[in-house]
Amino acid sequence: MVTHADIEDVDERPGSVLPKSPTGIKGFDEITGGGLPAGRPSLVCGPPGAGKSLFALQFLVNGATLYGEPGVFLTFEENRSDVVADVSSLNFDLDGLEADGRLVVDALTLEHQAVDTGEFDLEALIVRLASAVETIGAKRVAIDNVEALFAAFSTPALVRSELQRLFRQLKDRGLTTVITGESGAGTLTRRGIEEYLSDCVVVLDDRVVQDVATRRLRVLKYRGSNHGRNEYPFLIGVHGLEVLPITSLELNKHVSSERVSTGVPGLDEMLGGSGVFRGSGVLISGSSGTGKTTIAASFADAACRRGETVLFFSFEESESEIHRNLASIGMDLAGWVERGLLHFHCERPTTRGLEDHLAVMQRLIQATTPTMVVIDPVSSLARGATAFDVSAMLMRQVYYLKSASITAVMTVLTDEGELAQSIINISSLVDTSLELATLTALGERNRGLYVLKSRGTAHSNQIREFVLSDTGIEVVPVVIGAEGVLTGSARIAAESAERAAAQGMSRESAELARALEDRRESVDAHVATLQADFAAEERLAQRLIEASERRQEAVRLERLAQGRRRTARNPENEP
Amino acid sequence: MSTSSEPQTREWAPTPERLQLTLFVSGASPTSTRAERRLRDMCDRYAPSGYDLNIVDIYAQPAEVVSRGVLAVPTLIKERPLPVRVLIGDFTDEPRVLAALGLALAQRTER
Repeated sequence: MVTHADIEDVDERPGSVLPKSPTGIKGFDEITGGGLPAGRPSLVCGPPGAGKSLFALQFLVNGATLYGEPGVFLTFEENRSDVVADVSSLNFDLDGLEADGRLVVDALTLEHQAVDTGEFDLEALIVRLASAVETIGAKRVAIDNVEALFAAFSTPALVRSELQRLFRQLKDRGLTTVITGESGAGTLTRRGIEEYLSDCVVVLDDRVVQDVATRRLRVLKYRGSNHGRNEYPFLIGVHGLEVLPITSLELNKHVSSERVSTGVPGLDEMLGGSGVFRGSGVLISGSSGTGKTTIAASFADAACRRGETVLFFSFEESESEIHRNLASIGMDLAGWVERGLLHFHCERPTTRGLEDHLAVMQRLIQATTPTMVVIDPVSSLARGATAFDVSAMLMRQVYYLKSASITAVMTVLTDEGELAQSIINISSLVDTSLELATLTALGERNRGLYVLKSRGTAHSNQIREFVLSDTGIEVVPVVIGAEGVLTGSARIAAESAERAAAQGMSRESAELARALEDRRESVDAHVATLQADFAAEERLAQRLIEASERRQEAVRLERLAQGRRRTARNPENEP
Repeated sequence: MSTSSEPQTREWAPTPERLQLTLFVSGASPTSTRAERRLRDMCDRYAPSGYDLNIVDIYAQPAEVVSRGVLAVPTLIKERPLPVRVLIGDFTDEPRVLAALGLALAQRTER
């Protein structure tokens, strides 16, 4: 699996500036941080048919056409016309390059009947190579299956030492060289020539495991440079060898910035407002019954609405089942089929092997030239295969679709455990990953949807509920309660509680106003009472004061009266 | 059986073609020099109808090397008489050289 850590691994450490020669092979230059070691020989080894010759030729053709470095191709494997014919389907114009003086193809026919009479060396081989290099000013050389020499000469020790001399000369001349060798039993090459080619060793492999033929490439050794150490799947396509993938964004040269709708406005909105990128990979994962097919069909429906062609692979349901099920939510897929925009291919996954399925799919894609392909579910297609093969298969499939700018919509049944996980793990190639989940609460199962990732677009981080009704799919704005996202009747309850709360709010303010009014009235009344009390107290006080004054007056008058009486009774005591 | 085949060999042998040989050498390297000397010596001794030896120096004529598909040095191509035979090495193994050039047989039939 390609991880980010792995990519970082490729990065050169500062200080280790080893000059590199780009191969132009998609993906390879990325995993080696720039290509093969410049001016040195590299070994590319593997079993027959693994793509060694193609690697070598592509290195030269790209050198001549893309990097201005002429090259010499020396082959012991085939005659010249075979070499040219083999790669003509790959748009390699060897004859044209040779005519331009940018390439020399030298096919050596080995004289197996040569009579060995004594001591010799392979100086002639070295001379003819040197002569070809000088003629066109070559910077690159490829020697295809150098070990064929061992079959031609009866003295292996001599061939060995002569090869060593040849490699040394190539290095001394500063030629970036690819040497191919066939792998032996338990060894990298049959004759152990890897011993002399220690700068860079690339191993190609082509294994068929449980029906899946997968080509893999591994950089076993790269002296003085960091490199990706994993086995990378690669494919041989119309552009030759392509190593898969560091990230699809790195590899995809012409990515579209055009967005296509998912057919569900609420989902488009979750994906930054306008859906997914055209030609991107969309993975819809979820357990059984979460609505994967429905969402996938919605993508298809939206594409057909735009007048585009869609190819729908169904591996679990028949076409009529799909029509019936989607008609129930108001989606008329049968109509698109009648208009020739939608093509169904329904098949039990067990009818063929995986590799065969892929071949059928590619043929149908070429025949119908769709802008979108739906694979529902991709996980059942992969049943019975190993996790690695599923990843490899998916990578190839998605890579193929992406390179053709076809939007790939795939569903994955997560109930399939480890297998599904391995599919989800390929998400380095998937741009948009939607996860459907069953949200269980309060005795209900509701459908939840969230965007696991969506490369290159702003996207919602929220889990939304989606509702299937006879008018279609609706992604409902999220309701978040104290317990989190609310769905189904809990959401409805929460919504009505909110409505009630809103109404309650206005009643409360009216009550508040009324209470205020009451309070004012009561305050006013209180004030009146206080004033009345005060008036009463005032009156009482007044009366008391008056009474007191009257009493004092009475006391004064009485004293006067007493005084008069005493004087009258004893007149002699008066002076 | 052997008696009937003997005369046939004799009849075929007395009309020998002149040997036409091309020897690829790498300049004046010891191996090449030694090879040329041994070859001339053998031909002088065993080729009854004479021989033509064309020496190609791989450094001087790389185009010849390519057109004839030569990899090893020394390489001897017996052009005539047919069939064409290719020999590599410095001709240390004399019986094999003679057999390949058809000279040993000629020697025996002359005797």
